[in-house]
Amino acid sequence: MPPSSLPFAILLAALVPPAYGADSGHSVDPDTGAETWATRRHGVALSLTQILPDQGRAFYLNRGFPTEAAEVYATSCVFMAVLRNDAAPGMVSFRLADWTLVSAGAARPPRPVDDWQAEWRRRGLAEAAAIAFRWAQFPPEQEYEPGDWNQGMLSAGLPPGAAFDLTARWQVAGQSYEGRLTDVRCAR
Amino acid sequence: MSVARAKSLLFVLAGLWLGAAAAADLPPLTHGLTAVAPGQPAPALKLVDLDGKPHDLASLKGKVVVVNFWATWCPPCRREMPALERLRRALPEVVVLAVDVGEDADTVFAFTGTLEPAPEFPLLLDRDSAALQAWRVKGLPSTFVVGPDGSLAYRAVGGREFDHPEVVAQLRRLAGGKK
Repeated sequence: MPPSSLPFAILLAALVPPAYGADSGHSVDPDTGAETWATRRHGVALSLTQILPDQGRAFYLNRGFPTEAAEVYATSCVFMAVLRNDAAPGMVSFRLADWTLVSAGAARPPRPVDDWQAEWRRRGLAEAAAIAFRWAQFPPEQEYEPGDWNQGMLSAGLPPGAAFDLTARWQVAGQSYEGRLTDVRCAR
Repeated sequence: MSVARAKSLLFVLAGLWLGAAAAADLPPLTHGLTAVAPGQPAPALKLVDLDGKPHDLASLKGKVVVVNFWATWCPPCRREMPALERLRRALPEVVVLAVDVGEDADTVFAFTGTLEPAPEFPLLLDRDSAALQAWRVKGLPSTFVVGPDGSLAYRAVGGREFDHPEVVAQLRRLAGGKK
């Protein structure tokens, strides 16, 4: 293993909501300054924690990304997203394509993983780096039985410092639910 | 070394410290496995381990097999790995196979050497992620339990405490012919 892999994984492990368990709120890591927005609705917990550009660069450079590619992703407003089915009344299913980011009056979903993968193909990214990228991302779609969860990177596709409101949508037994995070800010 | 790289490494050092400081705030590993509807055969799984030795899930028919998909850079994967080894020790009749996605043997070996307890179950390499896709994994970690008849019995998405009494009881029942 590259000697740096362990520290990077530990760093990623630290990118979690400091106030995990709260019903909703915002917190700031006193050491890194990374901000977290979290909510818990209908038995589903959702949080976004800023991944600072230097943290993103470090992670992907050590996964074999060329400097330019790591820079493009690290400055695309990246968060560590955690979504879990803690106590929903059944299986939760979602697609990131159904989520909405509203920033400066424009609404659209987070930048799709497929878009990023197409960009990496254009740039000729090595296969190992592309695989690491894909599986480090928050799943584009997923199903969670009670107790299931994921933690992964999510790119808003916005410039550093941009602000947005996020509406996350999911379904349980054919019924639609949503949770909102407001005034989320991209790391600078 | 570029300035950007140097700054990144500073963040890594900060991360090392934060990893310990924030441990109490990590999303909790859950416990319990979700039953899979009967009659779904497990996909094929034929991979080599860190020593290049081939392993074939088909040869394990008659046993309960836990198939865990993971990577060394995946935080919940790292956290649940010692629990998998404790599960193996608690239920020696259950086979554990951990499938690393996209990394090489040196990377996996170096990481598992830091674990306590260190895994003694086979660590398989899915370098091109073909197995991951065949098993329709959507996120890491993902774990499947294959019953003695070769069909999927349970699944779990996200980190688990595999040595939790609830999980151990589920697997013990399965190994005893019940679900």
